[in-house]
Amino acid sequence: MPDFSLSRRSLLASSAALMASTALPRFAWAQTPKAGGRLVVAADSEPRNLNPAIVASNGVFFVSSKVIETLAEADYTAKDQLAPRLATSWEGAADGRSVTFKLREGVTWHDGKPFTAADVAFSALEVWKPLQNLGRTVFKDLEAVETPDDHTAVFKFSKPTPFQLVRNALPALSSVVPKHLYEGTRIEENPANNAPVGTGPFKFAEYKAGQYYRLEKNPAYWEKDQPYLDEIIYQVLPDRTSAANALEAGEIQLAAFSAVPLADLERISKVPGLTVVTKGYEGLTYQLVVEINHRRKELANLKVRQAIAHAIDKNFVVKTVFLGYAHAATGPVPANDPQFYTPDVETYPFDVAKANALLDAAGYKKGADGTRFSLRLLPAPYFNETKQFGDYLRQALAAVGIDAQLVNNDSAAHIKAVYTDHAFDLAVGPPVFRGDPAISTTILVQSGIPDGVPFSNQGGYKNAEIDAIIEKASEELDAEKRTELYREFQKKVAADLPLINVAEWSFTSVASDKVRNIANNPRWAVSNWADTWLAE
Amino acid sequence: MRGRFLQTPEAMAGTAILVLLATMALAAPLIFPGDPLRIAGPALVPPFQDWTLPLGTDRLGRDVLAELFHGARTSLVVGLAAAAASLAVGAVIGTLAGFAGGLADEALMRLTDAFQTVPGFLLALAFVSIVGPSLSVVVMAIALSAWTGPARIARAEVLSIRERDFVAGARVVGMHPLEIAFREVLPNALPPVLALSSIIVAQAILIEAALSFLGLGDPNRVTWGGMVAEGRTVLRTAPFLSIVPGIALVVTVLGVYLAGEGAVESAAVKKGLS
Repeated sequence: MPDFSLSRRSLLASSAALMASTALPRFAWAQTPKAGGRLVVAADSEPRNLNPAIVASNGVFFVSSKVIETLAEADYTAKDQLAPRLATSWEGAADGRSVTFKLREGVTWHDGKPFTAADVAFSALEVWKPLQNLGRTVFKDLEAVETPDDHTAVFKFSKPTPFQLVRNALPALSSVVPKHLYEGTRIEENPANNAPVGTGPFKFAEYKAGQYYRLEKNPAYWEKDQPYLDEIIYQVLPDRTSAANALEAGEIQLAAFSAVPLADLERISKVPGLTVVTKGYEGLTYQLVVEINHRRKELANLKVRQAIAHAIDKNFVVKTVFLGYAHAATGPVPANDPQFYTPDVETYPFDVAKANALLDAAGYKKGADGTRFSLRLLPAPYFNETKQFGDYLRQALAAVGIDAQLVNNDSAAHIKAVYTDHAFDLAVGPPVFRGDPAISTTILVQSGIPDGVPFSNQGGYKNAEIDAIIEKASEELDAEKRTELYREFQKKVAADLPLINVAEWSFTSVASDKVRNIANNPRWAVSNWADTWLAE
Repeated sequence: MRGRFLQTPEAMAGTAILVLLATMALAAPLIFPGDPLRIAGPALVPPFQDWTLPLGTDRLGRDVLAELFHGARTSLVVGLAAAAASLAVGAVIGTLAGFAGGLADEALMRLTDAFQTVPGFLLALAFVSIVGPSLSVVVMAIALSAWTGPARIARAEVLSIRERDFVAGARVVGMHPLEIAFREVLPNALPPVLALSSIIVAQAILIEAALSFLGLGDPNRVTWGGMVAEGRTVLRTAPFLSIVPGIALVVTVLGVYLAGEGAVESAAVKKGLS
């Protein structure tokens, strides 16, 4: 008669075997990366200028961050959330007027010339400060870069510049380009912008317009044994549905930056061999924001702005517009930011009755047709989600008696209408939080910004208190105190509502199970992929 | 005439479809009062699941049936208005060209040629993206390319009519040339021009749908093209969102064509008998 009783030992043995069968293979593979192979990824845009030192944007980084490296890269666990790349250490002076970088030795450019501190000095002074979209603000007080030896660069600032800000800016703003190719040329028109030469793990091989970008392994890369991949191909697939199909057919192994639409994720996550990855974008958080034109007298009234905030059901937005791939926002800094975020701010729970009461109290009673006043609502056309939220917001406002008329524009016309002509009452925008409020967040509420600067306060909002905090924080050298100032900033913004933060979202990747070491840093899709490898 | 018109089964089917559509369009505000774009239930309810939402809901939870009814209004309004505008403009220009002759004829016809060589849809696309999307702009954009057909036919008719005796009579009586053109000639040139109306209506409905599909429709109104575009993002998981308005478009255009064919045929029969 067979023995069905389970002994303690056999139970342990069998459960251990079970665990091993599920956990071990992956663990074991992770230990021994295999060199070789070609990674094919989907690219949805084809930037003409591939120089990340000039155009610090995700579309450019996606390709060129593998070719051109920054001084440091974002990291989940390392000190200051930074991992060394071309710089091995960084130190700020107590007076905030200088930052010293020790640079990596034995690094060569793809054309064989050695990488030195002169390249860093040239990039910082000639490219980041005068030409780069983000560097113009962060490095505005950079005066000189001293190079006492080939592997030391000392940044000198004319005004105290918080070291914390410089650190937070490194991953996105510090792409180093070769001085010997750019010096003495018109930097914006240099041919190397379209065929970049860098120090990264991959060399730029070729670009066929409308078809693909090809990068090939840099055998002389400074990190031993890396990169593992022989080749990366960016297959241009501008249509979003085609990325999902190509993944299923096995033609590509990775679709990053939400190339697969949210609505398809649930279906595709069930396809064997494919995984939906939501990690690896923490350093690239988008914020869904209702921009407000304070020149409209109704909207200049705080009660009206509060009413609008109460009229928006953030959970509905997260669940229906973003299908759960987002978080409700509380204020101008996203909750996933490890340094600055504070939840201790005024909140506006979804409450139609309260919104109606606030509007009544503000003196805007419902007319005979049930509406209080009309508004123009301009949803930004860049994402499906911003457009859908526009549709939702129109309905949410109708529920409290505000008649919002949607105005659709293409990208260029939208930017002109909102940021130059101010021809809007409400707009829906997707600003990006880049790890430090001073890089691209405070500009959304600060006053005194000239007309025409995109993604800035063009709603005519002016609050002396908030301006003072921003000013003070830009000069505060102590990281602790600076963080405290930005917490104060979040509280003030949440209380006065110069704009309404609705949700925070980031991208998703869909990858073949064979692609390993993905999403292992907060900016993975735009990092250098030196340690990415393909399993059998 | 009515009896004869309804004799062919095609004409009967076409008319039935158009009557149904007109009823839908007229009844929409009564059956589905309020804004058809308001959120009526949970998102992505499939059709025939919940009888309060017979055709289900879209990605934001809007009632697809209500959108369909209100969309019929937009499609018909655009179709009829664009046809009326282009027939009016075309008939006037054609009559002027044909009746005046000479340099004026040459100039007006070259202008017509110029408009005809640009693809109608591209012209509408460019016009809407410059002026900005709203219903009246869409109607104008469609009329902008559709008036050329009526203009050419009107001119051809006028060329033959102006040689007739009654026109010469009118001249002798001393009528002003413009009066002759529009009171005597145009009414007689009109029937063949009107035969174009069904083609123009059908084309206008399709162009409007295509513009809305590309995001150039009026965003504050429901349009079938806009519904197809919205549904496209969830094509793999909820294909009904694109299929339902797509079928509505096909049926409408088919109805307009069939009814138009019937009208032309019965007119031809009448002419032959008289």
